[in-house]
This record gives sequence, structure tokens and C-alpha cells, in this order.
Amino acid sequence: MDLMLLAPEITLAVTGLAVLLIGLFLPVGSKKILGFIASIGVLAALVLTVTSLGTEAMMFNDTLSIDALSQFFKIVFLVVALLFTIASIKYMEGNKNAEEFFSLGIFATIGMMFVASANDLMVLFVAFELASLATYALAGFEKTNQKSLEASMKYFMIGSLSAALLLFGISFIYGMTGTTNIPAIAENAAGLVTNPIGIVAVILLIAGFGFKIALVPFHMWAPDTYQGSPSVVSSLLAAGSKKMGIVAAFKVFIVALIALQVEWQTVFAILAVVTMTYGNVVAVTQTSVKRMLAYSSLAQAGYISMAFVVLTPLALSGGILYALSHGFMKAGAFIATAAVVYMVLSENKDTEDPDHLDNFRGLGRRMPITALSMTIFVFALAGIPLTAGFTSKFVLFSSTIQAGFVWLAVIAILNSALSLYYYAKIVKYMYFLPTDADKVSEPLPYTIALVIAVIGVLAIGFWPEPFSYWAMEAAKVLIPGGM
Amino acid sequence: MIPVELYIGLAVIIFTIGLYGFMTQRSGIRMLMSVELMLNSANLNLVAFSSYNADLTGQVFALYSIALAACEAAIGFAILMAIFRMKDTINLDSFNVLRW
Repeated sequence: MDLMLLAPEITLAVTGLAVLLIGLFLPVGSKKILGFIASIGVLAALVLTVTSLGTEAMMFNDTLSIDALSQFFKIVFLVVALLFTIASIKYMEGNKNAEEFFSLGIFATIGMMFVASANDLMVLFVAFELASLATYALAGFEKTNQKSLEASMKYFMIGSLSAALLLFGISFIYGMTGTTNIPAIAENAAGLVTNPIGIVAVILLIAGFGFKIALVPFHMWAPDTYQGSPSVVSSLLAAGSKKMGIVAAFKVFIVALIALQVEWQTVFAILAVVTMTYGNVVAVTQTSVKRMLAYSSLAQAGYISMAFVVLTPLALSGGILYALSHGFMKAGAFIATAAVVYMVLSENKDTEDPDHLDNFRGLGRRMPITALSMTIFVFALAGIPLTAGFTSKFVLFSSTIQAGFVWLAVIAILNSALSLYYYAKIVKYMYFLPTDADKVSEPLPYTIALVIAVIGVLAIGFWPEPFSYWAMEAAKVLIPGGM
Repeated sequence: MIPVELYIGLAVIIFTIGLYGFMTQRSGIRMLMSVELMLNSANLNLVAFSSYNADLTGQVFALYSIALAACEAAIGFAILMAIFRMKDTINLDSFNVLRW
């Protein structure tokens, strides 16, 4: 066993603890440096993960597996964490609790990374909870802001319910198979298939993961939480925490419970269709940009869930690639909103809805870089060619048609067309509606984060081969022989 | 030896009570207590299966989940405290500004 394979996680843990400790001894004025330390730590972890691409190993008695899938999702989480820490440098400026904010963000990332490499339900559950607990606290970080508290409270209540459902489901799987090791569950699945308890366990697990991924009947917390939380935290939640649910569901359903495939495939087909339609239809009428992005994030989760229905290596690689693209697009869109919110609040501290669509009026002239990147992100989310959104939608939808699920692909494509309406509305507000407000200077940290996200979105759009190759390698971990 | 079905039955009953409480109660503390009931029913399941299968994993898992439940309660009470400071109540129905 080579501890170097855990180097990204160790780096992050050390960074998180160091930020927490150093913060104790710094006056409020110089806490800005914590954000730089955190960003450097995350960047180092990202570099370490990228350099270890292609390695395969089992660690700690087969409880952690390092493979193409885990490395791919670790990169997704680290990229999101990097955008989050860089943008938060500005958001946390002059806040006396900055050290807690950054270390919570880093601990949440560690949790997500361990979920990505978990090979045992016990590790998966503990890491899942680590990420959840840290993000509950982050969502309520503005503790004198009623919206933030409400967001945090709703997220916590639903999150703890989902943890209970998950644990109850896992306990049945353990009981029927006698093991918590994910590949071993697949080998001992005979008891699960013949016993009705297997179905109960599948339902409990779908509900548990559904809450985290925010699939439709389990979504009610998501719009409230994404709207109420600080915008940078929403970016971590939508782009990071949601992907964690997806990779955990990939591992549990596709690897461990493949014997019950017929049961969960039907459920996911219904959930995917309902989720994408509901998300897109409700997003149309929203006036709060964060809430609109939250509903669009539901819709995207619906698209990714199509991978569970189609279940060919190509579709899975489409889902996995979509997770990476969505990480860039959604984190970027929320950070652009964060920049606007920051601008609005610095003009008038008591603005009621800083993320209202009206505040995006004339943004193209007031904050040109933010407006341009926001345009790229929303067009990518809608799936305009030459962006990451198009590449991943293309792989996912074409594999769906190839596998014979034409009806599903048609619904998804109609949904994408509908989504263009509300994305274009943001662009219309930014570029075509007049405003008499003056140009403002754009805060540097937000701009850097936006530029990184734009580069990511365009890189996947213009140069898709290496990314889809990595996604394919990752998908092969889930379905080794192909189906 | 008591058959394992009885343990599962008890766990399912406790879980259902917890789920019912979670859906009907509106006080933050009571909802948290309901979640604890659900988590503990899962622990009961894990320990019962562990002794039935003669495999220690379940008991270790139960220990982990007890520790996690404690962390979750700590975060939950911290959030409820912040809510109480602002609103002087932990009735969660009085807390809905976020709507469409």
C-alpha cells in the first residue's frame, strides 16, 4: 500500500487544520491570507490527483479503491473546491469567522473525495456524512440573515432524514448479504433478489440518494437552500455535493445492486423524466436568479440520471462527463451571481433580494467580464455547441438513442429547448435592457474564479476527446465488460 | 435465540414511528428526536444482523453511526440555537420566507 495515493486527501486535511489554527492567531484585518492558503492547498491536491491519473490500487483492506472513476470525480470535486475557495477570498473579506468557513469547505471536499474512492458502504456512509455535516454549517454561515438560516435548517432537516433512510437501507443490504464491501455485495446478491426486503432496501436507498441529488419528489429543499445560502456556498452545494450523491449512487446501484437492475432502472426512468421536466418548467417563472439556477440544477440532475436508465458504457461516460461539465458551468454561474450580489450589497447593504433578475439589468456594461462569463455558463447549461454542455449532452443523448430509448432522448431534447428560454432571459437582462447605473470595478478573486470556469467550459467544448476518453475509462470501472 | 425477524420487526416499527414523527411534528427539537429514532432503528438492525451473521462489521458500523448521529445532533442544535436567537421560537412553520 502506497500512502502517496492518499496524498491529495492528506494535503487537504493538513490545509484545513492549518487554516483553522492559523486563523485563531490572526486579527480580522489579515485573515485574507487564509483564503490564499486554502486555495493553494486545494490547488496542490488537484495537481497531486492529476499526476496520479491512471493508477489503480486498493487501500486499507479493500475499503478504498483508487481507480479511473475515483480519480475523475476527485478532480471534479477539487475543481469545484478551487473555484469555491478563490471566490470566497472576496466573500469572506473582513469576516471574523473566515477560518471556519474555509476549513469547513475543505473538510466537505475531503468527504466528497472519500465518497468517490469508497469501496465499502461503511466508508461511503461516513464520508457522505462528513461532507453533509460541513455543508449544513456552511449553508447557515450568515447567521444573522434569516434566509441563510432557513436554507440551512431546511437542508439539515432533509439531509438528516436522507441519512437515516440511507442507513436503514444499508442495514438491510448488510443483513441480506453479510458484507458491506461493494463488490462483495454484488457477489452475494442472491439473498437480495429473492427476498422482498431487497426491494425495500432499493427504495430506501433511492430515496436517500434522491434527496442528495435532488431528484423530483425529494427535491423540495434544493431551491430554498440554493437561494438562501451564500452564493459561493450554493456553488459548492450544486456543483460538488450533488455530484457526490451521483457518484455514490453509481457505486451503490450499478456496482453493488446490479442484480436488482430491473427494479431501480424503472424507478430512475420515471424520476429522470419527472425531474428534468419539472425543473425546467418551474425555472421559467423564477425572478430570483439563484432560484432559477437551482431549478435548472434539478433539470441537469434529471439528465445525468438518464445514465442509470440507459446503462451502457457510453451513456455512463456521458453521465460522468456531464458531472464534470456541470461542475464548471454551475459553479461558474453561481459565482457570477455571487459577484453581482456582492456588487448590489456593496451599493446598498439592505437590499431585499440581491439576486433578483432586475439587478442583472445592463450588467454587460456594468461588469463586462462577469456578464460575458455568465452568458457562456448559461449557454453551456442550455447545451449550445462549442461548450462543455453541448459535448456532454451530445454523448449522453446520442448514447440514449443508440441504446433504443428514443422516447427518453426526445423528452430530454425538448427539455433542453425549453431551458434555453429562461437562460436567454438572463442574457436579455444583462445585454439588452438599459440601466442608468454606472460601471463598477469587478472584484479580482471572483474574476479569477470565473475565468478558470470559463476556460474549463470552453476546453471541454472545443477539445472534447481527452475528456470523453477519461470519462470512458471511468465508466469502464462501473461496467467492466460492457453490457 | 430470538429469531432475527423479531429484531427487524422492532426496527421497522421504531423507524416508522420516527418517520411519522418527522412528518407531523413542527418543533425543531421533536423533528431531531424523530431522526434519532430512525437512525437508532437502523443501528438495531445492524447489530441484530451482525450477531445473526456472526460477522463483526455490523457492530463496528453501528458504533460509527452512533458517533455520526451525535455530530449531526450537534450541528442541528447549533442551527436551532441560531434560529431561536433570531425568532424566539423553534417552531419551523414560522420560518418560511423562501417561497416561489
